This record gives sequence, structure tokens and C-alpha cells, in this order.
Amino acid sequence: MKPKLRLLAVVAGAAVLAACTAGGGVENSDNTGSGDNNAAGNQSGIRVAVVSHGAAGDKFWDVVKSGAEQAGRDIGANVSYQGSGDPNQQSQLIDAAVSQKVDGLVVSMANPDALQEAIGKAVDAGIPVITINSGAEKSKEFGALTHVGQTESIAGAAAGERMKRDGATKLICVIHEAGNVGLEDRCAGAARTFGGQVENLQVNVSDLNAAGSTIAAKLQSDASANGVLTLNNGVALAAVQAIETAGRTDVKLGTFDLDAQVLDAIKADKITFAIDQQPYLQGYLPVVFLALYKSNANTVGGGQPVLTGPGFVDKSNADQVAEFAGKGTR
Amino acid sequence: MTTAVPAADERLTDVDRFRRLIIRPELGAVAGAVIVFTFFAIQSPVFRSPAGVANWLDPASTLGIMAVAVALLMIGGEFDLSAGVLTGTTGLTLALLTVRFDWNVWPAMAFALVLALAIGFVNGFLVVRTRLPSFIITLSTFLMLQGINLGVTKYFTNTVSVGGIAQAPGYQAASAIFAKSVTIFGTQFRIAILWWIAVTALATWVLLRTRLGNWIFAAGGNAPAARSVGVPVTRTKIGLFMTTAFAAWLVGTILALKLTSVQANAGIGQEFEYIIAAVIGGCLLTGGYGSAIGATFGALIFGMVGKGIVYVGWDPDWYKFFLGILLLLAVLANNYVRKFAEESR
Amino acid sequence: MSTPLLEVRGIGKHYGRVVALRDISASVHAGEVTCVLGDNGAGKSTLIKILAGVHQHDEGAYLIDGAEIRLTSPRDALDRGIATVYQDLAMIPLMSVWRNFFLGSEPTLGFGPLRRFDVAKAKRTARSELAAMGIDIRDVDQSVGTLSGGERQSVAIARAVYFGARVLILDEPTSALGVKQAGMVLKYIVQARERGLGVVFITHNPHHAYPVGDHFIVLNRGRMIADGAKRDIGRDELTSLMAGGAELEALSHELEHGDGGLAEVAEQLEAEVERLH
Repeated sequence: MKPKLRLLAVVAGAAVLAACTAGGGVENSDNTGSGDNNAAGNQSGIRVAVVSHGAAGDKFWDVVKSGAEQAGRDIGANVSYQGSGDPNQQSQLIDAAVSQKVDGLVVSMANPDALQEAIGKAVDAGIPVITINSGAEKSKEFGALTHVGQTESIAGAAAGERMKRDGATKLICVIHEAGNVGLEDRCAGAARTFGGQVENLQVNVSDLNAAGSTIAAKLQSDASANGVLTLNNGVALAAVQAIETAGRTDVKLGTFDLDAQVLDAIKADKITFAIDQQPYLQGYLPVVFLALYKSNANTVGGGQPVLTGPGFVDKSNADQVAEFAGKGTR
Repeated sequence: MTTAVPAADERLTDVDRFRRLIIRPELGAVAGAVIVFTFFAIQSPVFRSPAGVANWLDPASTLGIMAVAVALLMIGGEFDLSAGVLTGTTGLTLALLTVRFDWNVWPAMAFALVLALAIGFVNGFLVVRTRLPSFIITLSTFLMLQGINLGVTKYFTNTVSVGGIAQAPGYQAASAIFAKSVTIFGTQFRIAILWWIAVTALATWVLLRTRLGNWIFAAGGNAPAARSVGVPVTRTKIGLFMTTAFAAWLVGTILALKLTSVQANAGIGQEFEYIIAAVIGGCLLTGGYGSAIGATFGALIFGMVGKGIVYVGWDPDWYKFFLGILLLLAVLANNYVRKFAEESR
Repeated sequence: MSTPLLEVRGIGKHYGRVVALRDISASVHAGEVTCVLGDNGAGKSTLIKILAGVHQHDEGAYLIDGAEIRLTSPRDALDRGIATVYQDLAMIPLMSVWRNFFLGSEPTLGFGPLRRFDVAKAKRTARSELAAMGIDIRDVDQSVGTLSGGERQSVAIARAVYFGARVLILDEPTSALGVKQAGMVLKYIVQARERGLGVVFITHNPHHAYPVGDHFIVLNRGRMIADGAKRDIGRDELTSLMAGGAELEALSHELEHGDGGLAEVAEQLEAEVERLH
């Protein structure tokens, strides 16, 4: 009986795997997309690969994924989304997309050096590349069509000014991703316009619980710090708890990126403002741009990045935005 | 009582020969690799195309180098949880020396090698001296290295990654040997694959055809018994820890030269993948049994599954789930095969 | 009388305040089996460890070929021709017979970094050596774990004989075996003796010791309570020494002073002691 039982287990396992093939994802065929060549409207069949540096389950990148997938549905493009925080794995995912001869590639570059070779191969293979979110400063050099995102230093400067206006005198800038130049730029931008002292604090976005404790510890040990600027919606919520834990109700909290809970916190006066870089657009627009490039050789941006932010959301407009955040698109 | 020496072969039946083939520890991994390859190849022509093959051999190669070294250590009866983070330490050492202190790449690599071997020696020394489980000792090393990687990087650069290795003198030659690609049949394959094959071949030869290999099996199977017949168990185990450290240096160097930058959190989390690949390859957690070839096929399975999921378009969030099923099926198969082989006759 | 291969005079060993052995003297000659008997806790395993080079003696002298020495390690003992087969056999169950056979003394070909294990020779030799001892193991590639207890013992003994052991120390080889397998092992002990080795056979079973032994030593609580050649000690006397005849008598005296059922037990013990004598 035993050998039969084991055989059954193997067969069952294989069946599960086979079932997932039927259910999941989209089939990748070998032929390149052959849509009709009407301008704008009907670009059915092009295949776009989105390769981000966000780990699975990240709130921010989930919105980017939604935007990209929606654009695919809206214009009839086949969009696949992959993400990895490890630059080596990310470069291998880009290689995979190139080997599949996709029609367009969307990449976020937290660590541009590590991705340079892989992106170069894509460009050499004639695949149009658009960079999003991070790595704007290297986008043109690597041969991308354009960059869709938010210029971090400008956004950072705006955040610094707003913090100053809100009355903070010493700012803690919480960086949540190792080696992300864009995040460093935000804090550097804030430091330029803030006027007071700005201190950077390093946490890890994949462990928000520990991030919260680190922020609380900082606030408990430094009574002069009365402003906290977080750069991510998940970290912002951890900071809300941290402020309560540390008993520092005098601290003003502002953040980059928002979601439904951040909006609730704004409405409850726990967060004073959120800077929205509109991740939905960072997923949606590049897919549309690539389709237009394929069908009509259009380019967008004129050599400059296409900016999706900064947009300030505070108590005055929170309700309006909240409706959409609840759907996971803001 | 017979005095003639029985000629072995004619007395072995076909069943015995078959049994001997089956009980090889790598059988499960090889069969698994064939099944996984067939499974994905059927569904995705790109997966089985040269470009696709080159793509999934890439992660398999660096994982494979580590898995083979870790498998040797596991056969010898110990674990090394610091192997993953050590790839980051060696890469960061190389990066900091070349970028921050303007060293030539080659002496920087040599320095990183000496550092890695020293850390491996410390791991081994502590394990044999204190007789504490290597799981615990190397876990401590893992945590320490994690902190050191981050702290030292921030101290010298104020950021958490070090980039710009490509600008250092000696980079061109070093990357040509460790990080670049070779073109075969018009497709580019990473050189790391050749290193991986070399490491596997060397490890297999040591394990099966040298005295040291015999000692490794014995040290893992029954260390006190081995000691009592004169096997230098202490030296063997320390040597094994230095071997995983050497592999970590090799992989750290390959990645640093390939990506031209190293993040402070590089390698963290990989240590269990090495162990899983080794176990899929037939290594027992209790030691004394396993195979380097098996570990290599285990790494191959990892690479194929990871990229296969991408090629057939499954939701990548389910990757870990499939890996878990895979591991379970592999160990069940290995267990069954071993029991079958060891039944008293 | 020729020089004994191995001799201990007045050997003593203590661990902290516990005295494990006191004033043990014995000698082992080539072509003879010396049996060391004693119940559990008598000090047999301590004595073996000293003879095998695992521990060093604290008192007395250890002589090999008439010269006093102090062993530094098991390797040292092996190099001098003293091979020990432990109760747990020092075998690695997951490894094959031929690998176990040559463990620690692997034959090699070539030199330097290319020095390799001469696998062909190892398999060939293992097969022939086992055959020479009359051990019928068909496939030396099978793992030791698949062998029966008696077969494992025989491989261990054949290994020791092959590697030029002059003295073979066997630690309770028959204790975990059934009757037929124990008989097999006793046969190999005799074989080894016939080949000119000096054998030290440690056991707590006098019925196994008596048939093959030439000389007997009985240990009790770290001391020697008997020492004699086969012609001087009969089987029954050996058994009574082992069964602790003196202790049983003392025990029965104790119980006599008790009442009712205890007196009955005392009587029965007395009868037992009578029978032994």
C-alpha cells in the first residue's frame, strides 16, 4: 500500500501544479505582438513586462501593479508584473523578459548600476525601455525613452518647506530602503529647505514592526526631534503608532505616498500631510506610452521625465482622495 | 567454510544492480530536475530556448556553488547559517577597498579571500571547541556579520550600498574571468556557470575519490567512531567551514563584479535556500549522507522553478508556496528511496 | 614464557574522587584469548579505554612488548598494533562496507593534490579479507547498516586483523546478539587467535567466555577478584564469581533477620548459593 500512497502523493502534487497553469497568469507565446497598426486606439497584442524592485505584497507597488494591469486591460496589451528587492534577481528578471522578446519593458531602478548591463541588453535588442519611480538620473544614460515618476529632490524640498510651515524645528527623515538613491535625494531635498536640523534614520520596509520600534526609540531618546518625515505609506502608519508609544504628541508627522489608512490618519489629525507621487500613474502611463511608441512612434516628455508628483494631500482634500484609495488605486 | 574469493559480479543479481543505482543520493534531485524541466519546457518554448536556458542557469550557478559547499558541510554533520551573509561581506570588502580606498581589484579580492577564510576558521574552531550545535554558532556569526556589513558600510560611505567598482583598476580583467559572459551557439552564457561546474566536479571528486571524502562521510555519520579509528575529525570539520567560506567569497566576488555595486543587505536570507538545495540533492540533516552532484541539481531545480514561473506567467507571489511543495516531495522521495535501499536482506 | 604482547601492572584510574580501577594486573600473549569478565559497573570499559589509548592510566605501568609506554591517542595505540573493536563497533552505518573497512587508513594512489583513494584496491581487499576470515558478504558496496549484528562484528574483526593488529581488544562483542550470531562471533575470535593475535575478550557472559578463553580475569567494582588460566578455574566457579556468589550470601543474611515473606526469600537465596558452589 505504501508505494501506492507515495505515487498518489506525487500525482496529486503534479495535478496541483498543472491546475495552476490553467488558472494563473497569461500565456506567453513566441510570436511578437501583431496588432493592427491603427494609431492610438487598437493596440491589441503587445506584450509589456514590468520589472520593479518592490517585493511581493508591498502596499505601494501593489498600486503600481494595479495601474499597469488596468492599462493592459484598457488598451488590450498583455502586461506581466514581476518584482524583486535583490538587484541580481531583478537583473535576471529583466534578462528573462528580453529572452521572451517582449514589446516593451518598464523598470524601476533603485540600484541603477546593478541593472545597467541588463537594461543595456534590452536596448540593444531593440526593446523600448521606460524607467519609473527611481533612477531618474540614469534613465537617459541607459537609453530609456523616458522616466515616469517624481523628481525626488524637488518633492523632498517641497516636503521640507511644508514641515517648516507646520512648525517643526528638528526633522527625522526615515529611509526605508537600502541603497535607494531616490530616497536619499528626498531627505537631502528636505534638508535644503527645512531650515532646521535634519537627521536620517534607517529602517527596513519589509519589517514594519521593527521599523516602528526604531522610530519610537528615536523619539524617546531625542526630545528635540519634533518632526518626522516618512517616505512610504506603510512606514507612515508604523510611525503613527511609534509616536503614540513614545508619548510624543508634539511630533508632526508627514509622509510620502498614501493609501486608505493614511487618509484616515490624516482625517484624524495623526498625519499632517501626505505627498502623493501617484503610483497608479507610474504603472498605467508607461504601458500606454509604450503602446503609442509601437504603433505611432510617439515619444513623451521631450527628453525630460514625466512627473507624477508631488501632490499634497491634507485634511482639506482627504475625503475626495479617500474614495479612490479605498479601491487600491490611489 | 569457503576459502575461495567469490567473484562479486556474477553473484550479484539484476535486482542488486538496480538497487545500487537507485540508492545513489542524487537520484531524487536528477529525477526532479528532469520532471521540472519537462513541465516548464512543454508550456513555454522560450523556457527551453537557448536564451531561456541561459537565463535560468544564471541564478542556478551562484546558488549551485554555495549549495555544493554547504552540502559538503552537511555531509560532514554541520550547518553554516552565515554562508549567505558572508557573500555580502566579501562583496562589500571588495567594493569598499576598491571604491573608498582606491585599491586595485585583484589585491582587494585577495584580501576579501583571506578575511572569508578567517571567518570560516573561526566558525569551525568555535563549533569543534565548544561542541555547541553549529546551527547556533553560525547563527550568531550570521547576526554579527549582518550588523557589521551595515555598520561598516554606513561608516565609510554614509549610505547602505557601495557602487562604482567598474571604475577601479583591474576591473576589466577580473570581471572577464568571473562575471562576464561567453557566447555559445550565439547565446550569451555567464562564466559563473563554468565556475559552478568546476566546483561541483571538484567537490564530487573529493567526496568520492579521496581520503578526505571518506573522512567527511565518517565525521558526519558518527564522529566519535571516526575519531576512534584515527580520522582527524576536528581538522576535517574546520576545513569544511573554510570551504563554505571560500564558496561565499567566490559568489560574493562574482556578484560584485557583475553588478558593479554591493548592497549592505546582500545575501541575507539565502542561507536556507542553500540548505534546501542540498536537502533536495539528497543530504540528510543529520549528516553522513549526501551528494555534491545532488546539491547542484537541487540548485538547478531552484533556478528552473524561479524563472519557469515567470515564463509561463504564473503569479510570482506563489513562488514560495511551490518551493515548499517541491521540497516536501523531494524529501519524501529521498526518504522512501533510502529506506528501500537499506532494508536488511 | 614468551614476552607478553601487552601487559598491565597495578593499573589504577580515578575520575575526580571516584575510583574506577584499582591495582589491575594482567598480560596478553600471542595466540591466546584473555577474557575480562565483570558485571556492569565493574570497570571493564575504563580498562578498555586505557588499553586502547583513549585515556591514560593514573597509577601502575602499561607495557607493550615488555617496554613501558604511555599511549597518547587511539591512533598511537593503532600504530603499535593494538586494535580495539568497540561495542558500538566504530562503524558508520550509512557508509559502505569497503569504506568502513579502510576508514582512517585509506590506500592511496598518486601524491600531492592529486592523491586519490584507491577505490578498486579497497573493494578488492575488503572482499578478500572478509572471505579469508570466512565471512560471506556478497556485496561490499552495501551499507554497514544493512548488515546483521554478527556480520558487523565480523567486519570489524576482519578490519582489525588486516591492519596488522597484534592485540585485538573486543568490547562486549556478543552482548547484543542472539545465540546463532554470538556463535558466529566466537568462531571469528578463535580464527583471530589461530592467526597469532593476542585477543582480549571483554564480556559479562561467562557462558560465552569459557569456550574460547585461555585465561580469565574477573573485575568487580574496579578491582580484580579472580585471575587464572583455564585449567585453574572451572566453568561453575567462573559463573559463581560472576553471579557474585559472595554478595548473594551477604544479601541472604540481611534478609534472614526480616520477618515472614522475607525469610522465605532468604532461604531461596541460600539454596541458590549452595547450587553455585
